[in-house]
Amino acid sequence: MYQLNKVDKKFPGVHALKSVDFTIGRGEIVGLVGENGAGKSTLMKVIYGAYQPDGGTITIGGKTVRFQNPRQAMDHGIGMVFQEQSLITNLTVAENIFLGFEQQFVRWGVIDWKAMNAAARRQLAKVRLDIDPATVTSKLSFAQRQLVELAKVLTLEERIDGDLVILLDEPTSVLAREEVELLFRLVRELTSRASFIFVSHRMDEVLELSDRIYVMKDGAVVDVVAQDAAEVEAIQRKMVGRDIDKEYYREQKQKPYDPSKVLLSFDRVSLEGRYEDISFDLHAGEVLCLVGTEGAGREAILRTVFGLERPTSGRVSVKGAPYARTNAQEAVARGVGYVPRERKVEGIVNGMTVYENMTLSQMKKYSSGGILRIAEERALAEEWIRRLSIKTPDVHKDCGGLSGGNQQKVVLAKWRSGGSDIILLDHPTRGLDIGAKEDVYDMIREMSDAGAGIVLVADTLEEAIGLSHTILVLRDGVARKRFDMAPGDKPSLYDLVHHMI
Amino acid sequence: MSMEKLKPWFPWITLAVLVLLVGAVNPAFFKLSGMVALVADIVPLFIMALGMTFAIYIGGIDLSMQQVANLVTVVATVYLAQFGPFVALLCVAAGFAIGAVSGWITTRQFVPSFVATLAMGFIALSGARFLSGERALSMNAEARDASFGWMFGNTAGVPHELIIAGVLLAFAWFLQTRTTFGRALKAVGAGELAAVASGLKVDRIKILAFALSGSFAAIAGLMFSVKLSGGDANLANGFLILAIVAVLVGGTPLTGGVGGVINTLVGTLIVVVIRTAMVYLEVDATMQQMIFGIILIVAIAMTIDRSKMRIVK
Repeated sequence: MYQLNKVDKKFPGVHALKSVDFTIGRGEIVGLVGENGAGKSTLMKVIYGAYQPDGGTITIGGKTVRFQNPRQAMDHGIGMVFQEQSLITNLTVAENIFLGFEQQFVRWGVIDWKAMNAAARRQLAKVRLDIDPATVTSKLSFAQRQLVELAKVLTLEERIDGDLVILLDEPTSVLAREEVELLFRLVRELTSRASFIFVSHRMDEVLELSDRIYVMKDGAVVDVVAQDAAEVEAIQRKMVGRDIDKEYYREQKQKPYDPSKVLLSFDRVSLEGRYEDISFDLHAGEVLCLVGTEGAGREAILRTVFGLERPTSGRVSVKGAPYARTNAQEAVARGVGYVPRERKVEGIVNGMTVYENMTLSQMKKYSSGGILRIAEERALAEEWIRRLSIKTPDVHKDCGGLSGGNQQKVVLAKWRSGGSDIILLDHPTRGLDIGAKEDVYDMIREMSDAGAGIVLVADTLEEAIGLSHTILVLRDGVARKRFDMAPGDKPSLYDLVHHMI
Repeated sequence: MSMEKLKPWFPWITLAVLVLLVGAVNPAFFKLSGMVALVADIVPLFIMALGMTFAIYIGGIDLSMQQVANLVTVVATVYLAQFGPFVALLCVAAGFAIGAVSGWITTRQFVPSFVATLAMGFIALSGARFLSGERALSMNAEARDASFGWMFGNTAGVPHELIIAGVLLAFAWFLQTRTTFGRALKAVGAGELAAVASGLKVDRIKILAFALSGSFAAIAGLMFSVKLSGGDANLANGFLILAIVAVLVGGTPLTGGVGGVINTLVGTLIVVVIRTAMVYLEVDATMQQMIFGIILIVAIAMTIDRSKMRIVK
C-alpha cells in the first residue's frame, strides 16, 4: 500500500539514504532498527514529509506522491508520533488534539468548545484514554501524553479518505514496563484502523510488536526479516556487522597505559535522573570509552568531569583532589579539555580567527596585565597549524569558514597547546569525512602517547572498540559492563551491543 | 567582490555617500570649521554610543544609558561644590554600579538585558528626580569653570571635546582589540556556548560589559551637565535612540560578536550627517525622532544575524 522505491537522500558530505526500498501493507506493523546514524531518522523524515528525497519515488496505493512538508503528508494519511513529545503543555488536551484544525468547530467566528471537547472525547476513546479533554496537558503523565499524541494522529482517520500510516518514534523510551504492554495492546487493536512503523532501540520490543523488521546500516536497508524468522542476535550482527579494519583505528599504535598514574577518578558518583553509581579510574595514556545508547548517561558524565554538572552524590577526583567549585574554569585550570559534540556551536567560536580560537581557553598565558601578546598567539597558532596540518590560508582566517575536520583540529589544538592532559571527546568524528576521521584517530593516539588520559564518547561502536583501552558500557545511566581492550584481543561488536540494549 | 565581503564596508560607504549628498545640497557643509563644530557638538552622544557598543557587542542592549546620564547631570550639579573635580569619580562610579547591577540581574537572574536595563533606567530616573527635587538645577559658574572648564577649550583650533572623544575611543579600541577582556567580549558575542566550553568566566564578562556601558553613560552625562552648566532629570532625553542607531548603522548588529567601537565612530558620524541634512532640508524637529525610528528598524533588519536567532518575541 505505502511504498518507497529506491529512495536516495544526500546531505553535504553524507549519503544518508542509499536506494532504500520500503513497503508497508494495510494493518501491518513494521519495525525499523539500526545504530545511531544508520539513517533511521532520515528515513522517517522522508516518510512523514519533513525531507524530500533526492532520488526514487514514494507511492501510496500505486500512485506516486511527493510531499513538500509534513502537512501534505498528513493529508495523505501519514502521521507521526514524536519521540520528544510535540504536545504544547499549557494547552488543553482537546486543543492539542485539534491544533491547527480548529476551523471545523468555529461557529460565528468563535470556537465551540463543547463540540471540540466532545470530538476530542471520541478521539481519546480510540486510544482508551478516559480523561477530561479540557484537562491542561501538563497535568498528564508521560504515558498519557503519549496516548494523546496517538489520538491526535488518529484524527487523520476522519479527515482523509484512504489508509493511515502512523510512525512511532521511540514511543516506549519514557514508559514503564506495564505502560509499554498497554501501548502494544492498543497498537495491535488499532491495526484495524492504521498501519504502524515502529522505531525503537529496544530490540526485544521491536521483535515483540512488529510483523516485519527492516534492519538499516550506513543508510541502506541491509535486511528485512519476518517476525517468526527473527532472532535478536542475527539482527544485531546485521546492524553493526562490518569487519573492523585494525589499521583504520590505529590499533597497532595502541600502547599500554600507565596504571600507576590516575588522572581522574569517579567513586560511586551519581547525578540524579542521568546516571547512578558510576566508578572508574582514568590513567595517563588511557583511552576510556563510554558506550551506550542516546540518553544512557555518557554525555552527562563528560559534563560532570568538565564541571558543568554537579553530581548529587559520590566523589569525583581530578588529579587526586575534588573540585573546590563546580565550574568549567576550575576544570580547565586542572587541565581538563572538552571537545563538545556541537562543534560549530560549542567547539569553535564562529566569527573568531584561528589563533583567537586556539588561545581562548588560555588567554592568561598569552597576556600580561590583561593585555594580549598577539604575536605570541600567532606563533602558537602557526606551530599547531603545522603540527596538526590544519588546512587554513593563515592564522587570521575565520574559524567558521574552515572545514569540519580542520575546525576539530583547531579545538584539539586549543586544549593540547594549553597542556590539558584530561581530554573529553564527545563524538569527535561526527560529520567528518574519512580522511579527517583518520587524522582525529592519529591525534588520539598521539595524545595518549604523550601521557594524556582521554574519555571518549565515540560516534560508532567500531570506533569505540578500535580506539579504546577500556570500555564502560552504560545502559539507562548504570554501568553494565567493563571491558579491557588489549590490542588484538578486543571484544566484538556483538559483545557490546548485548549489554547496551 | 561578493556581497559578503562588501558587507563590513557598508557603513563607510553609507557615510561617504551621505556626506557627498549633503554637500551637494549645501556646499557650506564642506567648510572645515563648520564640520569641526558639528562633530564637537555630538561628543556626548558619541561617548554614549561607545558605551552602548559594549552592551550590544555581547548581544545585549543597555536601555538605561539615557537615564543614567540624566541622573549623573543631577549628581554632578548637586555635588560639584562639595567635591570639585572629584565629582567626576562619583559620577563614573554611579554609572559603573548601575551598569553592574543590570549585568548581575541579566546574568544571575536570567532577566533579558533589555528589561533589566529598562527597569534600572527607571530607577535611575527616579533617583534623578528625587535628588533634583524635580527642578532644573544650575551649577555655580565659578566652580564649574575651575573644575571642568578645560573640557570646552581649544588647543590649536582643536576643541578639547574632540580630544576627550579621541582618548575615550582609543581606550575603548584598545580594550576591545588588545586585552583579554576584549577578546572574551567577542567570544561571548560571537559564540557564548563555546566561550563557556572554553572555561571563560562568561557571567563576569557580561557584568563588566554592562558596567562599562554604564560608566560611559556617566561620562556622557557629566559632559552634558558641564556643557549646559546644570542638571535635571530630562537633560539627556532623546539621546538613547540616537546612541542605538549610531551603534547599529555603524555595523555592530544586535546579535553581537562583530563590529566594535570604530564602527560606532562611523555610525555616530552617519547620525550627525543625517541630522544635519534634516536641518538643511528643514525637516520639522518633531519629525526627526520618527525618521530615526525608521532608520533604527532598517538598520536592525539589515545587520542582524538571523542564523543566531531561532525565536524572536
